[in-house]
Amino acid sequence: MRPRVFLVDDHGLILAGLRAELADHVEIVGAADEVGSAVEMILERRPDVVLLDVHMPGGGGEAVLTEVARVAPEVRFLALSVSDAAEDVIAVVRAGARGYVTKSISAPELLEAIFRVADGDAVFSPRLAGFVLDAFASEGHLGEAEVDPELNQLTPRERQVLRLIARGYAYRDVATELAISIKTVESHVSSVLRKLQLSSRYELTHWAAERRLT
Amino acid sequence: MSVATPPRAEIGVPHRPLRRGADNALVGGVCGGLAIRLGVSERAVRVVTCVVALFWGLGLLVYFALWLTVPRAGEDRSIAARLLGGRNRLLRVAVAVAIGILVLLVLHPFSQALLGPLSWAFLVAVLGLIVVWRGATPQERQRLEELGRNTPLLRRREEWTRTSALVRILVGLVLVLLGVRLVALVSRPIDGGAPAAIFGAAFVVAGVVVLLAPWWLTLVHDLSDERRSRVRVEERAKLAAHLHDSVLQTLTLIERSAGDPGQVTRLARTQERELRQWLFGPERTDHGATLAGALEALAGEIEGDYGVRVELVVVGEATLTDALADLVAAGREAAINAARWSGAERVSIYAEVEPDTASLFVRDRGRGFDPAAVPEDRHGLAVSIRERLGARGGSATVRSTLGEGTEVALEVALA
Repeated sequence: MRPRVFLVDDHGLILAGLRAELADHVEIVGAADEVGSAVEMILERRPDVVLLDVHMPGGGGEAVLTEVARVAPEVRFLALSVSDAAEDVIAVVRAGARGYVTKSISAPELLEAIFRVADGDAVFSPRLAGFVLDAFASEGHLGEAEVDPELNQLTPRERQVLRLIARGYAYRDVATELAISIKTVESHVSSVLRKLQLSSRYELTHWAAERRLT
Repeated sequence: MSVATPPRAEIGVPHRPLRRGADNALVGGVCGGLAIRLGVSERAVRVVTCVVALFWGLGLLVYFALWLTVPRAGEDRSIAARLLGGRNRLLRVAVAVAIGILVLLVLHPFSQALLGPLSWAFLVAVLGLIVVWRGATPQERQRLEELGRNTPLLRRREEWTRTSALVRILVGLVLVLLGVRLVALVSRPIDGGAPAAIFGAAFVVAGVVVLLAPWWLTLVHDLSDERRSRVRVEERAKLAAHLHDSVLQTLTLIERSAGDPGQVTRLARTQERELRQWLFGPERTDHGATLAGALEALAGEIEGDYGVRVELVVVGEATLTDALADLVAAGREAAINAARWSGAERVSIYAEVEPDTASLFVRDRGRGFDPAAVPEDRHGLAVSIRERLGARGGSATVRSTLGEGTEVALEVALA
């Protein structure tokens, strides 16, 4: 089944490029170049996946995400950006994006990521994986109001998976390397995404602002 | 104060307890509140209050008593009730009264000399204002602050009106005159003496400040405005210089080599990396001094020289020691090999610093090779790398599968 995809980007060239690259493999149900119309059209057309530009005037991708999520939480978002600044990455992921890829991603990889998000899985680029490893590295420095310590630590297995992704392994390579199924890899990654979104580690934001992801 | 307790509501008469006015207040809202309660015009109440105030300050005293004990419209407790709520209420009242009397005793002679019989009322008003401020709700405080800001004394020169100028000159002159009079008093034998001279000097200074404040405020504003605009101009110049040196130059180069797609890609990538580093990268004073810095330089170099994309992820950070420099050098060999031979478009470099080891992975998804069939000259290189890292308490492993790609894993021990 071809997922229904909606594009949001304020650069016409990028929109045209994405359309050309994706049109043969997914059903593109629309595109918008600013926050207001994006929210409106997404709510009207209910796509499976929204490819979302992080940097846009009027609140950026984060604004679209929060607006849509309030009404239609089932719409899934994949953030697409030229920026590698950690505060941007972390802001969209924490706002609910199912993944984050940079615009330099190749077309087949982008397609794979879209299908993955459409299936409800998470998409981690090597950078995002590296970021999570770094942010969750220290054992101490937990927030004061610790409700759920589970959320603030990665399991050894999750750490292994993230390391391989940061090393440039695709999900199926990770699965082969660790002798587990792709489904298991996906569930590990989804659980990391959940921790990333829900963790109360104040460090995440703090760290992101201070160090920036390069 | 018996006025403060709301009278019982009678049948047919709307329940109208005395409340200080919130909407029709000039200062504390006492007159406004009284006007509403008594059903007379505000102006009448105000005039009466002012006239009564002239009789030994009686009006002023009553005013503050009401201000403290009557709740503001929309609030259920008076300032006094709020201040006195809680424990030790008697003790606190006693302390407050004692302090008040002490202040009155100390200051009364001075003010007596200055203001005559009205002086004690004046002092009571000042003390009353302090108490009001301590017990006021945030809303009321905000109102009082606004009141203070809107007095003509604190306006800048551009905001001057004729009235504010007049008030300013009057207040300034009165202060100066009072000061002069106080100083003059010192020559006469009167209670006060030296402290009075100090007070007098303070009054003169205050008067001068009030007179000159607008010019001073304007000057300060102008200076900070100018500084801000200069910073803006400098920022802009820096940005323009950077864009000219990097982006514009690269664009010119790209135009010139439009016929050579490989060269165009290379130029664009190098520029992209540079710009990205400039925009989003952490500010580094010494670029080569850290592991991440050295690896970024390496990634830039390889992208520039071989036209492949290098994806660099660094977890953790460390200063570039000799061991780490060896690690980077080994990684450089591996990355160049990958860029040159693998045929892959992208090389992934991943570095991780742990408490006692640092590791570096260089991976490509290119054609791969059979490690057993490596030509002698390249074998030598691998051996030298392995020995060098071995001396640092580390290791080097190469894994490659034909058609799948190659991964070089490097590791050193951190002292």
